[in-house]
Amino acid sequence: MGVMDITNFAHGEYLMLSLYASFWLFEFFHIDPYLSVLLVIPLMFLLGLLTEKFLIRPTIGKPMFIHIFVTLGLSVILQNLALLLWSGNFRTIQVPFATHTINFGDISISTPRLIIFMVTLTVAYLIHLFLNYTWMGKAIRATSQNRNSAQLMGININRVFMVTFALGTACLGIAGPLLMPIYYVYPTIGFQFVLVAFVAVVMGGLGSVKGAVLASMLIGIIETLSGYFLDPAMKQAIYFLLFILVLIFKPSGIFGEEGKVV
Amino acid sequence: MLEKIINNKVKIIAFLIFVIAPSLLSKDDFYAGILFQTLLWAGMSGTWNLLGGYAGQFSLGHAAFFGIGAYTSSLLASGLHLTPWLGMLAGASLSAMVGVILGAICFRLRGHFFSLATLAFGQIVYIIALSWRSVTNGSEGVLIMSSPGWSEMAFNSKMAYVYLALIYMLIVVGVSFYLDRSRLGYFLVAYRENDEAARAIGVNTFLARVIVSGISAFLMAAGGTLYAQYMYYIDPDSVLSIALSVQAPLIAIVGGLGGALGPVFGSFLILPMTQMLRAWLGTSFSGLHLIIYGVILIVVLLLIPEGIFPKLTEYLKKRTEKENSKC
Repeated sequence: MGVMDITNFAHGEYLMLSLYASFWLFEFFHIDPYLSVLLVIPLMFLLGLLTEKFLIRPTIGKPMFIHIFVTLGLSVILQNLALLLWSGNFRTIQVPFATHTINFGDISISTPRLIIFMVTLTVAYLIHLFLNYTWMGKAIRATSQNRNSAQLMGININRVFMVTFALGTACLGIAGPLLMPIYYVYPTIGFQFVLVAFVAVVMGGLGSVKGAVLASMLIGIIETLSGYFLDPAMKQAIYFLLFILVLIFKPSGIFGEEGKVV
Repeated sequence: MLEKIINNKVKIIAFLIFVIAPSLLSKDDFYAGILFQTLLWAGMSGTWNLLGGYAGQFSLGHAAFFGIGAYTSSLLASGLHLTPWLGMLAGASLSAMVGVILGAICFRLRGHFFSLATLAFGQIVYIIALSWRSVTNGSEGVLIMSSPGWSEMAFNSKMAYVYLALIYMLIVVGVSFYLDRSRLGYFLVAYRENDEAARAIGVNTFLARVIVSGISAFLMAAGGTLYAQYMYYIDPDSVLSIALSVQAPLIAIVGGLGGALGPVFGSFLILPMTQMLRAWLGTSFSGLHLIIYGVILIVVLLLIPEGIFPKLTEYLKKRTEKENSKC
């Protein structure tokens, strides 16, 4: 979002597809979700490449509304395709370790959730390294700062866009299988996640990986606390409100660098 | 030149009347239902177009206004036995107020961030309707029980609703025509095309957008009341879902943004087809009509981003010009 100046409203649906992919791999081939990550990541990367090439590329440089509604249309299509093919039933997989916990003294932590936490931090760190220390990562950052100058420096921005977009969907390829043991999958699940992701990205400051991670933790804390003190149903409303407030009063994000304004 | 453009518009309106008239004559409830939906959506996407088309501010939270209208009139009717006509006015006024406040807060955001903020706002209203059980009944929804009659805005015949929806659509089209040729409308277009330039010559684009946000919210809420009276039942998913917020712009974009007749055209193009598909395919292919929505949207956006209606009028204009030059 920060790099391409594009909001992919179908991002949540890619997570849905990734969840279904690991679900079906488990159902048909009995592949453990922690193993199916290795299959789902390249699958999602490929899907990202194709989407970028055929749907996002034609919208770049055109008025803003075109990419918003192309991705919204894509989201509607994917949701209903999933409904048509796989029905609206909530599906989940039964694995023995889903309810496994690790105890640290008085605190017990669900193992799958701990794994998600560790993997997320690792992936975020890897992305951080990639963006700062590889040629492609630097090209991505240059493009996000100034598209035209980057192009003048000989960066193939089409390629940058393609890689960026596909990396985004590949990350969902990691998230899907990891979430599968502890979540249900159904056609509209993506929407729940994607709004939170937007909130985190904007709060953390666009294009900042560190900010997004910190903001996500903040959202988690807010969500848990407001669920504790208020009606649990209202907790989502709280961070949407927070989202609007951040957009308006601190558009560079709470953890973002100054000067990078929405 | 101008006469010809008007002439073409007349042609298209005549065509629309030609489409509507037979179904008005047939008293079949099924077609009356489709016609009601078509006219209502023509009006609703028209109200979205006031802000999205003219000012280029793409709200993704218009379901919130629709829901506020539907809920206000229904709750007033069931709780205080207030006639839905006054309920409609109350809901629309409340919605207009919310629209003005939301506009005042969110209009400093640009492009997709405005869309995201309105999307979040729509979700907030949805969650409130879902969890404020003591007032809204939560997910159980509100049942509207009224004996048929003008004062209750409840009718036995579906045709009465069709006429109400037709009036609603005509009001929205009227407001759009007004924007087409008023200062307010020009201010919006000025903002859309070049905000800095508009402000430099002293146009208060912010105020113009806030006013139109109020008008748009007002009209959208009125549509909500109509829908509630037609269905006799509302719940958060039927009047506040994100799908509504997406469908309104979808119709306007396919038809053509920033004109009075684009959304009407879009609605007549999309609604009858998808409604019939839905009825014919039944529940075995649930969701197929929405897939078709999505495909139409993407194809139109990538191939004819200005919308079908402007393209069509352009084509008709060229053809008449050719015919004239031949003579």
